Parts: sequence; structure tokens; C-alpha cells
Amino acid sequence: MSDASTLIQRLMPERSLLRLAAFAIVVMIVFSVMSKPFLSVINFQSMGFQVAEVGLLSLAVMLSMLTGGIDLSIVSIASVSAIVTSQLFAATGASQSSAVTPVLTALFIVVGMLAGTAIGLVNGLLITRLHITPILATLGTMQLINGLMVAWTNGQAIYGMPDIFLAIGTGTVFLVPVAIIVLMAAALLTAVFINRTATGLRLKLVGANPTAARYSGLDNDRVLTLTYLGSALLASLAGIIIASRAASASADYGTSYVLVAIVVCMLAGVNPNGGYATVTGVIVAAFTLQMVASGLNQIGWNAFHYQIVQGVLLIAVIGLNTLSDQGVLSGRLGRPRLRRPPAPGAATSEPGS
Amino acid sequence: MTTVTSAARRFRISRLRGSNNEGVLVVAIAVLAIVVGLFSPSFWSVATLLNVGTNSLENVVFAMAVLIVIISGGIDVSFMAIGIFAGYSVIVLGNSTGIAADSAWLGFVIAIAIGLALGLLNAFAIAGLRLPTLIATLGTQGIIRGVMLAFIGRKVLPTYPPGLESLSTTYLFTDHAAIDTRLNVMIIPSIMICVAVSLMLRYTLVGRGIFAIGGDAESTRRAGFPVTGLRVLIYLMAGALAAVAGLMHVTQVRLANPYELVGGELDVIAAVVLGGASIFGGKGSVSGTVLGVVLIALIKNSLILLGVPGAWQRAAVGALLLIGVSAQAISAVGRRRRGTIVQEEEEAAA
Amino acid sequence: MSGDHPLLVARGISKHFGGVAALDNVSLEIRPGEVHCLAGENGSGKSTLIKIISGVVKPDAGVIEVGGETYAHLTPRQAIGAGIEVIYQDFSLFPNLTVAENIAITSLIARGRRAVRPSDLRSIARPVVERIGVGLVLDARVEDLSVADRQLTAICRALAQDARIIFMDEPTTALTWREVSALFRIVAALRESGVALVFVSHKIEEVLRISQRITVLRNGGVVVSGEASEFDRPALIRAMTGRALSDLTPSDTAWREGQPMLEVEGLGRGGYFEGVTFDVRPGEVLGITGLLGSGRTEIAEALFGVHPADSGSIRVNGQPVVLNSVRDAIRAGFGYVPADRLKQGLFLEQSIARNVIAGSLDRLVGRLNLLRQSVADRLAETSLTNLHVKMSTSRALARSLSGGNQQRVVLAKWLARSPRVLILNSPTVGVDVGSKHEILEMLRAKSREGIGIIVISDDVPELFEVCHRVLVVRRGRIVTELTGDRLSEQAILDELAA
Repeated sequence: MSDASTLIQRLMPERSLLRLAAFAIVVMIVFSVMSKPFLSVINFQSMGFQVAEVGLLSLAVMLSMLTGGIDLSIVSIASVSAIVTSQLFAATGASQSSAVTPVLTALFIVVGMLAGTAIGLVNGLLITRLHITPILATLGTMQLINGLMVAWTNGQAIYGMPDIFLAIGTGTVFLVPVAIIVLMAAALLTAVFINRTATGLRLKLVGANPTAARYSGLDNDRVLTLTYLGSALLASLAGIIIASRAASASADYGTSYVLVAIVVCMLAGVNPNGGYATVTGVIVAAFTLQMVASGLNQIGWNAFHYQIVQGVLLIAVIGLNTLSDQGVLSGRLGRPRLRRPPAPGAATSEPGS
Repeated sequence: MTTVTSAARRFRISRLRGSNNEGVLVVAIAVLAIVVGLFSPSFWSVATLLNVGTNSLENVVFAMAVLIVIISGGIDVSFMAIGIFAGYSVIVLGNSTGIAADSAWLGFVIAIAIGLALGLLNAFAIAGLRLPTLIATLGTQGIIRGVMLAFIGRKVLPTYPPGLESLSTTYLFTDHAAIDTRLNVMIIPSIMICVAVSLMLRYTLVGRGIFAIGGDAESTRRAGFPVTGLRVLIYLMAGALAAVAGLMHVTQVRLANPYELVGGELDVIAAVVLGGASIFGGKGSVSGTVLGVVLIALIKNSLILLGVPGAWQRAAVGALLLIGVSAQAISAVGRRRRGTIVQEEEEAAA
Repeated sequence: MSGDHPLLVARGISKHFGGVAALDNVSLEIRPGEVHCLAGENGSGKSTLIKIISGVVKPDAGVIEVGGETYAHLTPRQAIGAGIEVIYQDFSLFPNLTVAENIAITSLIARGRRAVRPSDLRSIARPVVERIGVGLVLDARVEDLSVADRQLTAICRALAQDARIIFMDEPTTALTWREVSALFRIVAALRESGVALVFVSHKIEEVLRISQRITVLRNGGVVVSGEASEFDRPALIRAMTGRALSDLTPSDTAWREGQPMLEVEGLGRGGYFEGVTFDVRPGEVLGITGLLGSGRTEIAEALFGVHPADSGSIRVNGQPVVLNSVRDAIRAGFGYVPADRLKQGLFLEQSIARNVIAGSLDRLVGRLNLLRQSVADRLAETSLTNLHVKMSTSRALARSLSGGNQQRVVLAKWLARSPRVLILNSPTVGVDVGSKHEILEMLRAKSREGIGIIVISDDVPELFEVCHRVLVVRRGRIVTELTGDRLSEQAILDELAA
């Protein structure tokens, strides 16, 4: 069965990915023409520093969309890991450079990320044990955690981090930002997870059709819990990067990050009803969006113009996808019942009523 | 026929509880009132009533917008953006061009027009492009807010056109206790709006159509409802309501801050969901929603009375949402269909 | 009764989808006050014909004469205006609205009303409900009603629209036998007022019992049409399937020696079935049949851990097993091909290969939870080849397959695990005739290889063709066992009709 044509089929990316890549190239060309400094190392570095956060958060949302839900609490989770880590730094005065700092730093980061990931477990339990739909469950935890964090920090940002911690978000290795390396490593691991492991395949199946998954012997509850644990893990990592770049941790990163992450996922062709997502798509989409942000900035548009562009992009992209795929994507996010419109082109299909 | 008796029996029991758990909410509010009143006797004052009223009068109108969308099976996160856009724009318009400067009524008319236009944007994305409602309204929220902050203004405006200025100080009740607590006269239109929405939902074909779409969109189409047209109407109504609520808010606080409101969506959504509306659509009531809004306002008020710092309010609403939704979800799972054997034995006994 | 002027005449209706002819030169005549059965197996074209008559689908050729007019094709509005109403299997009701609203709203829309007053609802709903003499609670929510009551609501809704012809698609599928009798009483009352009812059915007993005239479709064409009195069971079956009823017992008899691979004793689940005891020996195909609601599907789902039993014992190859979850059942060696292929059996938007390995993931895991891709690929290819699945490539999506091939994929999923007991629920529904026989022959072959096969079905010819023994379930209990000489299509039919 394996021959040249199958091999080529395997290497050829999906249609939506091709469209995305084309879009990315167009964006790059347009902005390099409109603004000289766009194609500079410095600019790419600066984009690189910022894209890591968005990229990680987008990967988190991608995971939750893969199983047909959505994780709205990612930014709160990010703030948990950032704040816990920072509080540990502040409590032990570790901002003073001493020989023990690298190890302590690593430890504190791990603890912070564990705290964030634990929220993922809470989400998972709310969804699987209490049968709360993912939108509401993560909406609730987002608010609850956010409130607790604001209360804990008295609404103030926390400062005081060791240089080695700050290097994560601001350092470079051979001109490549460390943050990008972290993002790529996380992306690689996530890609291996969803494409190469049995659990990853289970995620896709549960997202594609939870009923059939159950009848095939899959443990839907376990899969869903792992999904939200994974999403929380990625969000926690994002929190570390954000804190490192800003040299501070605060409870109010802003929910605009959630919008950006969702835009990235939609651009990447992720199916919000579950069953299909590619890490490659998410990474390319994240970079593309970052280029758009950076390019707009360079030609003098401000953050609000960018917000408009994001909204328009979101609607335009999905609108195009929906129109071209004949309604495969239509549906309401958060509905556990996966109602599929009659499949076009199936051998036994008849025109729907 | 046993099927008839058991259905009728179930019907009578559910009547007591209220089809959207209104009974439960009333009890919850009563319990809350008693408990808080024990710790802080100042709870039992007119001031509390007026505070809750002030807080609720705009939120309840927002909640009506959200309710209509949720009943139809969608979810809208752009309503706050529409609200602040409309409110802020009317102030800017009044100040800079003098349009609707002297009449608060005209100001509201303009707000409604703006709300309809923005609602049309949602309608286009959802009914036209068939986008998932959460994502579509996330997108429109970004667009609306971005346009406002980029093109209409970013400044906090302390001066208002005279019409709205005088409305902001027209009060229905004033409590001349130690702290002057007042209730703006806008509570009246607020209540009227709720009544109007309730009548629309229950006694018009449009209203029943909204429920029908939320229950089963395909059957609705087959029955002859113009589903797309209905959806457009839904988002137009939601937009107009949100705009009115936004202007109410801006009028009440007497300081037009374009950065406000957005971010507070959860409080309203939580109120609607707590009020018994199903996130999947097809269920919900105005009375339940109003009770939900009141409950949340009461909790926030109580926290302040008890001296709890403001940050905990956010956590409290989040926790409340989770508790309320868990309770709903658990009771939903509890309903199970009876087996055929049992059914037939009942029939045999009939 | 059957008056002079027919209510509706459809002539020469043809419809093609792609290159396949769903209907070819089909004619149908409906007379006032009659019950007319449109009989045929799945895939015979019944649904398409109804959709054409109700205006949902346009025919490629033919005319429809109704209400004094002749149409090349109808719009839904015109059809409703002519008094044509269709009640689909899902009833198309509003679950969250009341009975009165469901009955009256379609009429209100048609009349262009805006307001919905409770008095209006009642004035429309009550007369209709009283007309057919049912005790529906007008203010009850439809989602709280039983299936039978929902069907009654749907009928009332049709009547509220002044229906002259009511099409009912497989009306008795979800009803218990008592409810079926109640339905037929209502049908009689409707006939009195001149309303014609067209039942679409593939259930031979009903067709003969209730109809005045029968039109049989097969493979998109009319085979025969005439008075019901002209038909008897064998003739009807022959017309519907193209084969004669056989009186022979299955050609090979299973050996009943050796240890049973499955022993079920006293199995019960509150409200659904009780006291179920049977065994399955290597090499035999066991059939379990009964009317819908008899508990037959529930027994299967208890064996597969979907809805575990709460009493009784199960032994596989002599070893007691506890089946509290699907995973327990799979580990014990069970496989299950569910009745609803599209929702329960397949991942339509995933590749065919993935569908096949979906049930075997625990066996395809290597180190670090990584999937052993080459092993998985080989397993998928082998299984698909063994089951002769016709596809372009195993990477194509499952929804691109025909019904018969989709069913083979579901089978492949379980056979890939070499199960000890394979349970199939309505295995050939929606499968074309050719595939049907191949699949049944394959099941026979598998049973000879030593896999225990249980077929749950109400398709009598199918049961007879493939099973060595048939258990009949009625109201949650096994009432008869048909085997050897006693096993014949006639016997099964008799048991079901009792």
C-alpha cells in the first residue's frame, strides 16, 4: 500500500493549512513593503519574544477544542503559576543573586506550574464528575481563580525576580529568543502527544464523537480530565514566560489573551466542535498573527486598531472556512451534543429537508 | 390512562418549584438575607434595598439581552461592549455636536439605534455566516471595543449633556440616613423592559419561536418558522437592550469611562444561568433571571457590608456560578427514563 | 370509505441521486379514508417518495395530482395547503414547548398571526385532541411525554392543519405493543372522517393488519400495488425482498458440544429485563428478537457494559466476569456492533483506518504511550481486507462509505481484537441487499471459527438466514426458544405477533 502517492499524500498538509501558509506569506510581504524595518533581525526577535506567550496559550486552547470544549480559564491559570512563583521568589529574597539561585529558580518554577496545573484538574473534575459543560466550568473557575489571585496580591503586581528567571523571557541563544525555544519544545511535545501517542488519538476520538468513543471502550472522563490538565500545563508555562518578560506577576493580564488564543486556533483550522487540530497550524497562525500585530504597530496603528483587526480576522477566517467546507464547522461552542449536518457527498445521502 | 396521570402529577410538582427553579432562588435569597442580617443588622435597612435596586436596574436590562440569546441556544459575550459603545457615544455626541443634548429620551433613542446597528453585526456573523455564537461574539466584541477606543474616544468624560445630566440626578426614592442612598427613576423603565420582554417571550409567535429554535432548530424550520429572520431579530433585540443598559449605566455613574463594563460579562451571564436558563437553549424565564440578578447584587452588597475586600466579590460570583451550575447539572442527570416493563405494569394497573 | 375520487395521484415519479436511481417511474394513488401502506425494505425508495410528495425534494420526472391541480413538483407550502402532512420518525416537535403550543403553532404561523394567546392555543388544540379522543395534557411539556404521547401530539398537529393525507414514517418503531393498538384505534377514528393515512413500514404484520391497500417498493420501483386482501404473508415478503420464504432449517446445524463460551444466568436490570438465562456455544449464532421495548437491546447493552445489569451472573469461558463498564466487557472478550451506526459505531469525520483501530488502542501502545504506528497500520489493512471493505484508501473519511461498507468497518473494529463473543444489534439496517447477505455469511463463517455470535434483530428473514437458535423476548423476559425444526420464519413471525 505504501508507495510514492501515499507518501506524498502524507506530507501534503491540509487545505486549510496551505491557505494559512499563503496568508502568512502575503502578510510578510505586505508589511515588509510598507515598513522597511519589518524584515530585520531585531524585529523578528521582538516578535519572537511576544509570540511565545500567545503560542503557548493557543496550544492550550487547541487541546481543549480538540475534545469539543473550550478552556476559558487559561489566563487565570497563567496568573496562578506566575504569582505563585513570584511569591516564592519574594518570600525567600531570591532576587539577590546567589549560587543557589538556578536550582531554587527551577524549583520555584516547578511549584508555580504545579499550582496552575492543579486548576486544570479542578476543571477536569467539574466537567467529568459534576457534568458541567466546559464553557461554564472554565468561566466559573476563571472568575473564581482571578478573584482569589487579586485578593492574594491585593491587586498589586509582584516584583523581584532573579536574573536567571528573567533570562527566560528576555534572553537569546544565538540570536534566537529563549522564549521561542521554549515554545518550540512545548509545541514539539504537544505534537508528539496528539499525533503519536495512544492518548492523543483518544483525545481526537472523544472530540470527534464522544458516544462512539464510549462504545469503543474509551474512558471519556479520563480523556477529558487529561485534556484540561494538559491545557492548564501549557497555560502555566505561558504564565512563567509572561512573568519573566514583564519582570512582574499580576492577577490582571487581561482576558484579551483569550480572544487572541481563540483567533489563532480558528486561523489554524482547529475544529471547535472537536476531533481535528494541528500543532503546525497553531504555531504558524500564532506567528502570523504576531506579524500582523508587529506590522500594524510599525505602520502606526495602535492596540485598539489591532483589536479591530483581530475581530475582523476571526470572523472572516471562520466565515470563509464555513462557506467553503459547507457547514462542517457550524455549531455552537460548548454544546456537548455533536450535531452534525448531513454529510455532503456521502454515498447514501439525499438532500436534506 | 396512567401516562396522563403521571404527567399531570409531575406537572403539579414542578409548578411549585417554578419551571426555572425560581422557587429555589427565592429560598436562596431569603436564606442569604437572614444569614447576612445576623452578622450585620444594617442589612435590614432601606439602604440595602436601594443599593440593590441601583445595582440591578442596569444589570437586569443587560440580562434581558443575554437571556434572549441564551434561550435561542446561543451565547453572547459582546453585550457589554455594545453597551459601553452606545453609552459613551451618546455622551460624546451630546457634548460635541449638541444632538440630543437637552432630551434624555432622544439620547436613549440614539442609543437604541446604535444598539440595533451593532446587533446587526452580530446577526450578520451568526445568522449570515453561521459562525459558532461564542466565537462570533468574541470577534464582534473585539471589533466594537476597538472601534470605540480607536475612533470615538478614550477619555473619561465628567461632563454630560444637560438632558442626561438631569436624568442622572432624578431619583425615585432617597434614603436620608447617614449615607444618602438613592434609587434613580430609571428603575421604572427598567422594570417595564423586563415586563415587555416577558410578554414577548410568552405571548408572541416571535417569542415562542425563540424558545423553539433553542429546543430544536430543525423542527423549527420544518414548522415554517423563518429561522434566519428570527435569529436576526434576536441579535437586533439583544443589541438594542444592551445599548439601553449601557446608557443607563453611564447615566447612573455620572462619569463616562470607555474602559468600563467590558470584563463584567460574567456577572450577567452568571445571573442568567443561575436564574434557570439552560446554556444549551430552550429554557429560561424573565422572573428567574431577575431573581438571579438580584441574588448576585445582594451578595455583592452583603460582602461590602461584611467588610470583605472588593476582590473577593469576583471570586464569590465565580464560586456561585459553579455551585449553581453544578446543582442544575446534577439534577438534570438525576432525571431518568423509566423502563418499559415498569411502564407497562402501570398501564396494566390503570 | 374508499370513495370515487382519489385524494392524490402521483404518476411516473423518478429521482436520481448522483448516478443512482432512488425512484424509477413510480406511481401511487391515495383514496379518501383509506389506510395505505407503502411497504418496502430499507433502501427501496420509500423516504424519497414521501419527500417528493411533501415538497421537500423535487422529482426528476413525473407529476402529482392533488386538490384538483396537477404539479410537476410541489413546494412544502403547496403540499401543506393541499392537506399533505408528514410525520417523520423523530416527530419534529418542540421538546421544550407545551403540547398545546406544538399542536397550534404551525397553524398560527400559517395564518400569519403574531400574538400567541393561551386562548388561541386552546381553541386550536382542544377540538383536535377531542376529535380523536386522546387524553393529552395540553399544558405538559413535550419532552416530559412518552414516545406514544409525542406521536399523538404530532398527529394532532397534522390535523390542526386540516390534513387530508397523513404520511407516517415507520410509526410503530418506538411504540410498545399496547401503544400500537391504541394508535390503530385512532387511525380507525380518522378514517371515519375521510382522512387518508399512508403508513411507511417494513413490518409485515402491521402492514397486513391495518391497511386497505398496499404498494410495495423495491429498489426504487413499484413491484405491486393492490388491495390488502390480495396479499398474504408469503406474497408480501416475496414482493418486498424478491425472495420466497423458506421453510428449511438453516443448512448447517451448529454443534452443541463443548463448553459454552458465554453463560448468562438470571441477568436483570430494574425496569428493563429480568431472569435472563441463556448460553452460547462455540460455532453457533444466537438470535435475540422481540418487539421494540421488549428489552432486547437492553440485554445486549448490559452484556457490553453500556448499562450494566444489577442482578445475575455472567461467565465467559467458564470464568465469572463483572461487566460494569464497556472496558470491562471488552477486556472480557466482547465486541458490540451497535444499532445506530452513525452515532454510536463510527467516527464519521475520522479516517477509516482510525475507525478500525479505535477499539484496539490498548494493544497498540508501546513505550512512553507512543502508538506503534506500523503495527496499527498493518492491523487496519488486514482487518479491512478480510472484510472486503470497498474504499478508495484507508485514509479516506468514514463518511465517504456506503452503509454496507460502513457496517463492515464497525465489524472490522471488533474483529481486529479477535473477540470471544460478538454482539450485533440490527446489523443490516440501511445496508444494501448485496452487502447484507455477505455480512450475514461472514457472521456464519466467524461462528464456525469459534467466535460466539449474538444477533439482536427484528428483521425476520435476517434472523432466519443467520441464526441457529432464536430467543424471543417479551416484556423483559425470555419467553420462547426456537431451534432446530421449530425454527422457521413463520414461527418467528408468530411469536412476534403474539
